[in-house]
Amino acid sequence: MNRRKFLKQVTLWSAGMLMVPPVFDISPEALGAKTDAAPDIFAAKGKDIPAMVQQLVNTMGGMARFVKKGDTVVIKPNIGWDRNVDQGANTHPMVVTALAGLALEAGAAKVLVFDRTCNEERRCYQNSGIKPALDAMGDRRIACEYIDDRKFVPVKIKNGRSLTEWSFYKDALTADCYINVPVAKHHSSSGLTLGLKNAMGVIGGRRGRLHMDLSARIADLNLVIQPDFTLVDATRIMLRNGPSGGSLSDVKIMDTLIAGTDPVAVDAYATTLFGMAPADVQSTVEGFQRGLGQMDLSRCRIQVFDI
Amino acid sequence: MAASGKDAAAGQGRDPSAGKTESGRGLSGSLGDAASGRGIKPRLKTVRTGVQLICLGLFLWLFRITDYTGSDTIPWAVNIWFRLDPLVGAVVTLATGTIIPLLWPCLVVIGLTLVFGRVFCGWVCPLGTLIDLSGRFIHPKKKFRVQLRFLKYMILIVLLLSAFFTVQLVGLFDPLSLLVRGMTFSIDPLFNFLVTGGFDWVYLNGPAWLSDLTEPVYDVFKSFLLPYKQSFFFLSVFSFFLLVAIFVLELAGRRFWCRNLCPLGAMLGLVSKISPFRRIPARACKDCDMCRTDCPMDAVNENRQIMTEECNLCMDCLAYCPKGITSFQFKGSLQKNLPDIGRRQVLAAGLLGIALPVVIRTDALSKLPAPDVIRPPGALPEKDFLATCVRCGECMKVCINNALQPLFLEQGLAPMFTPVLVPRLGYCEFNCTLCTQVCPTRALEPLDLAKKHTFVLGTAWFDKNRCIPYAEQRPCIVCEEHCPVHDKAIKFHTITVVDDQNRTMTLKQPYVRQDLCIGCGICENVCPVVGTAAVHVAAKSSMPDTFGSGTSYP
Repeated sequence: MNRRKFLKQVTLWSAGMLMVPPVFDISPEALGAKTDAAPDIFAAKGKDIPAMVQQLVNTMGGMARFVKKGDTVVIKPNIGWDRNVDQGANTHPMVVTALAGLALEAGAAKVLVFDRTCNEERRCYQNSGIKPALDAMGDRRIACEYIDDRKFVPVKIKNGRSLTEWSFYKDALTADCYINVPVAKHHSSSGLTLGLKNAMGVIGGRRGRLHMDLSARIADLNLVIQPDFTLVDATRIMLRNGPSGGSLSDVKIMDTLIAGTDPVAVDAYATTLFGMAPADVQSTVEGFQRGLGQMDLSRCRIQVFDI
Repeated sequence: MAASGKDAAAGQGRDPSAGKTESGRGLSGSLGDAASGRGIKPRLKTVRTGVQLICLGLFLWLFRITDYTGSDTIPWAVNIWFRLDPLVGAVVTLATGTIIPLLWPCLVVIGLTLVFGRVFCGWVCPLGTLIDLSGRFIHPKKKFRVQLRFLKYMILIVLLLSAFFTVQLVGLFDPLSLLVRGMTFSIDPLFNFLVTGGFDWVYLNGPAWLSDLTEPVYDVFKSFLLPYKQSFFFLSVFSFFLLVAIFVLELAGRRFWCRNLCPLGAMLGLVSKISPFRRIPARACKDCDMCRTDCPMDAVNENRQIMTEECNLCMDCLAYCPKGITSFQFKGSLQKNLPDIGRRQVLAAGLLGIALPVVIRTDALSKLPAPDVIRPPGALPEKDFLATCVRCGECMKVCINNALQPLFLEQGLAPMFTPVLVPRLGYCEFNCTLCTQVCPTRALEPLDLAKKHTFVLGTAWFDKNRCIPYAEQRPCIVCEEHCPVHDKAIKFHTITVVDDQNRTMTLKQPYVRQDLCIGCGICENVCPVVGTAAVHVAAKSSMPDTFGSGTSYP
């Protein structure tokens, strides 16, 4: 072996080592619960969506509580389906634009909006109205981009009960502020899809494989994805045939937005809009059991604003 | 006037003042006026190359925008190349026995050929242009030189006759179909694979400062050159080599495909016999062999006569003629020589054209149901579909989920390269009608959204031996979640079971309401069962009400 060969071998071997995909190792403390025994839940009722969003964010302490100057903010709506705004399968675009505007006002350097869709992504982003609305804001700091498969990284979920490893979207893991903006709707597997279930949109892999033990696995995913706050869009809710729906006859106008920093409490309260009890949604129960938040509404401080 | 060519040649030479250009009917002459006699002949070749490149650019641009662009409709006539193609027009009209208004633009090419001859081949055809461009890298070998002019006429006769007897095979030989298919199935995916592969490697393995440099370049590529996403096609290898073969054949002489095989060239050649626009002189000079050796179309026969039906008006001879006496003019005398094909060859092709449909129709495949032949939305009944589809690949190119794939010989020769939905690879998007918009022959009828939502491609059925809530007694119901139909075509029974560890749980066991299912295949696509899905879509043609009727397929 001459020198040239030796150098070549060394380069190749070290390149090989660098190519091993990194596994995100998040410490158990970070994966854990920081439950507030008596969390706040805020709800706003009305037709003026931007004003309702503003009110909710203000009562939680203003966007400045969550977003520092120069932060990268992730706003994670549900853009899962090729359905229009009225069909209620996706988050209302005005909720998303209102939050994006507030994040920019608070000094965000970058606002990322994305979801891993179920139907073809370009159609979902377009038909949901979310991409056109964000593009219309005309701000270069807002990026409403399609999922980039290269950004999924495997994560070990150390205290996961049903799921111990899965791949997550890097932008969701590294965000300075993560705002979860689900739409409230019926879901044939999990009962309802609310805030906790919305984490399904930032994971990779074949998601159908999670359905064999869906609620437990949704809760496990939320050990990794812990939003700074959750804002549930219940301006209109899908009562049947979820999560994809497709007919206005399944949709009920509720004119409600619900927000809070406790993801379980927010989900628990949103469940009541469907005439159900928090315990009827298994993922809420599993989340509570993992210490992700409070599901007993009698222990929560609930404030409702009419706007 | 006849001297204009000569004068122009002189003008191109050392003494410009010698070029006394008179106005004339000749192309070189009239252009000569504009250029005041200076350097006309090479300039005409440049003009021709320029027109070729513009047409190729237009072709490539239309190819690239054959995709979803944020709107439910495709604003451009991306299928215009096939609608301009008179071979497609003639064969489809013969096979279907109906006039398809969408194909009327092909009369423009016929008209152009009637006036100017085979200019489409020399100046317009994107495959011809690519072959010309390949001449820079592939140089014909004298010892391989092959001359089979008759073959293209035989192919044309077979295509026309078999179409008349309702077996339509134009897509196998139509140059535009070959090109678009080759590009869709292999070249475009290959190009994307190589480019994204390079950028991805840097992104995933390179240092951050390097990917910070390459990612903006990648964004430019993505915006202007690359397809939106990587596509995958059956027959990518086969289509690749089919296209490569056309270029490899250049070793046996320039424009080998155009001279010997192209049925569209044969058709335009026959039409061009009436064209009054001719190369002058009509014969090669006795003391010079340049025309015979240097003509890219080999259009000079053994009697030194220029065969108008072989000439594609590339006008190279204006430049290479050592005497500078060639020109192209309207001298409308009909040429008496017949195309270079013998009587026996015509007879053989005719017999083949008649026999082929019969042989194809006696194939046992025509008696079998074909559950996997799920046609795209808007597809005509199978028999009409096969007569109308020209295997151009446009629907497969535009399919937003890369769900439409070409058949190979699974169903015999006749349906080769026709599109089928392969749900495990991709499903038919509920709100998408793009394939019906790009079909140049209306083999897929245009559907508005309401019609698309109820158009039945097939029907789903469950394999309970694999379906998780049945076979494994565990929850799943992913198929029902995704079913886009309202009211859901997939229903379920909720049952309570006690498992081996004495745990009680409720299970949702799915079933299909066939009257609601449209066969979009999203259930099969998302089914989490490993390997073969537990829910399959079977084609409409194999459904109970048509099965066994004997007329459904093909």
